[in-house]
Amino acid sequence: MKIENQGQCLTISEIPELTAVNSAHFRDEVRANMSAMPSVIEINLSQTRFMDSSGLGALFVLYRAASKGKGVILRLLNPTPEIQQLLELTQMQQLFEIVKR
Amino acid sequence: MAAPSLEPARPATIRLAFAPDPTSIRAVSTAIRGFLSEQGVADRELFSYELCIAEAANNAVEHARGPARHLKPVAEALFTPSQIELRVTDHTAGFELPDHIPPPSPLRERGRGLFMIQSAMDEVRYLRGPTENILIMRKRRRVFQQGPSSPEGASLEALTLEECRSQLAEAQSEKAAMEGELSFRSETLASVFRCCAELGNSDEISDGFGGRLLVDLLHLTSADWYVLRLLAPDGRQLAVAAASDAELFLEPIALAAPGDAAQGFESLAAAKRAPTGFDLRECVDRTEPLLAVGAEATGLVCPLSFGGALVGTLAVGRRTGDFPLGKLQNEVVRTFAEFLAIQTLGIRRRREEVRNRVVERELEIANEIQHLLLPRTLPQLAGFGLAGGWQSAREVGGDFYDAIAVDGHSLVLMIADVMGKGVPAALFATTMRGLLRGLVERSADPAQVLSGLNRLLFPELSSVNMFITAQVVHVNLESRQVTAAGAGHCPVLFIPPGRGAVSALHTEGLPLGVLPETAYRRATTLLGNPAALLLHTDGLTDTRNPDGKAFSQRRLKGWMAANIVPGRPATDVRDRLATELNRYRDGATMADDQAFLLLAEETADGANHVSRGGRRVRLQRGSFLFSANTRVAAKT
Repeated sequence: MKIENQGQCLTISEIPELTAVNSAHFRDEVRANMSAMPSVIEINLSQTRFMDSSGLGALFVLYRAASKGKGVILRLLNPTPEIQQLLELTQMQQLFEIVKR
Repeated sequence: MAAPSLEPARPATIRLAFAPDPTSIRAVSTAIRGFLSEQGVADRELFSYELCIAEAANNAVEHARGPARHLKPVAEALFTPSQIELRVTDHTAGFELPDHIPPPSPLRERGRGLFMIQSAMDEVRYLRGPTENILIMRKRRRVFQQGPSSPEGASLEALTLEECRSQLAEAQSEKAAMEGELSFRSETLASVFRCCAELGNSDEISDGFGGRLLVDLLHLTSADWYVLRLLAPDGRQLAVAAASDAELFLEPIALAAPGDAAQGFESLAAAKRAPTGFDLRECVDRTEPLLAVGAEATGLVCPLSFGGALVGTLAVGRRTGDFPLGKLQNEVVRTFAEFLAIQTLGIRRRREEVRNRVVERELEIANEIQHLLLPRTLPQLAGFGLAGGWQSAREVGGDFYDAIAVDGHSLVLMIADVMGKGVPAALFATTMRGLLRGLVERSADPAQVLSGLNRLLFPELSSVNMFITAQVVHVNLESRQVTAAGAGHCPVLFIPPGRGAVSALHTEGLPLGVLPETAYRRATTLLGNPAALLLHTDGLTDTRNPDGKAFSQRRLKGWMAANIVPGRPATDVRDRLATELNRYRDGATMADDQAFLLLAEETADGANHVSRGGRRVRLQRGSFLFSANTRVAAKT
């Protein structure tokens, strides 16, 4: 997992999976970096092959944390079709800005 | 031509037990994905199977409590080209799986697992067992999509395969249900065995093992109340022997007589000897005893019967009608009821055996008392023989006799019949014999002896509603004078002077124990030569032959006249009389005890002559005979 702070943008990438094993760690790491008050948080899911409900739970916690900050945008980048489907199934796509580029 | 259908006979399977931690869960879901990938499942399908295993395994670990937290859950995958079945076995308390789980709100951190599983799979079932549960997730697959066969052939194959698939799915669901049932039954058997083991130490069905068995039954069937009734010894009422709650110790109910309508479900089940289900919400009878459970209770009443013998009823159920007992639970209740019936009958039989042994022992004791009761020796006077005979209809009788030498030439003879049998009668007899000796020392007058006995025995006799008939005779062998007094007893028989026929010396008086103060009248007579005197109880004259005809006083007198022969020893006469009585009875049952005391002059000239020793006479069980100057007690 890679976390980069580029000015106002916090980027998280190289996440092979988000499961019960690592989602708590992922959540806490990202939250710790939010103290720098980014205006955009981008989570790059292009390499994420698997995600379970703990991973979805971690994303929700980050969404809640972000919406507490004023005007913080939480963006999910390039999810695989399977994860895109999962987000839609659980209606969580409503919470995030999902961007493919 | 259609491609041949090559569905494997058995699914390819993988079964993995995993440690209850996130890393192991991850490893197991990855491994199952790998397994399915090897079976040729496309990558785009694999994600959902991996997800389902991960979600089910997470739940299995997260919801385990207590020692079950350390048990390893198991994940399985069964692959056939037409279906993939995933299973996760957990050791949690389990949960109710709804048929349809609506999508959870996106504004929740947790609680999406089961929803995702249900969305990803075609069929999800959750089988709950006593110690483990199985989540079964099935996904039907389209097959031969890439097959080379023609479109028509493919559709034909697909049709046949559809049937196969549904049959397979059915068989597998049946198998899973059977596994659940098997584990349920093994638990049932285990509690039955536990109770069998405890039974060895228990003799009470109502508390002890029966109570514990029923608590197990409640646990197994998820029932919340029970009422166990056992048949009262009178065989007419069913009384509560055990119940799950204090307020369910209900009043006894009467057993319906044949032809009568049974009152209440328990009475009905007992009368029909058949399990009876009930739903009190539909019960209009406000006298139904089970309404004490609650107006909405449902359940089952099983008769406790075995081989037609009813021992009680067992009612088990739930307080609310929303969750009545299922088919399997009803079956378990019936099995328990059968088991209880057999055990109860076993306990009853054992108790009866013990009781019989106690009664037998009591009779043995009474018999020993009786043997102590009759005099071991009778006084011996010059020229006269004295012999007594006694035979009891049962192990213990209330007849007895005694003879006391007053001086060198006179005797007091007594014969008595305590009205009543068993140990109490024998105890009165011993007491009376002791009192007699004391009274005779003060006065040898038969009337005074009887009044004294009555006065002393009255309080005890009247308190137990018993009485005693007795005859006391004083004989002066020098003057040959006989003085007798009787307390409701049959007359003394004697041969009067002048060798006439045998006479009866009638005496009048109330039996001992009727009134506190009673005066007795004397009757006197003289003995003939040779002198003969017979005191007896009515058991002699009442002896019945097989036709039911009594021996009678007339016959007894006739027998005496024929058998009192000058010079014949008293013991000889006694033996002849005993033989005659048995001959007359000719194997018919003895209805009453027999006792007699015979005084006979043994020398025709009145010279000194010592009576000879008694001869053993075999009579029926418990009989023995005494004679003057001997210590013979013949007992077989």
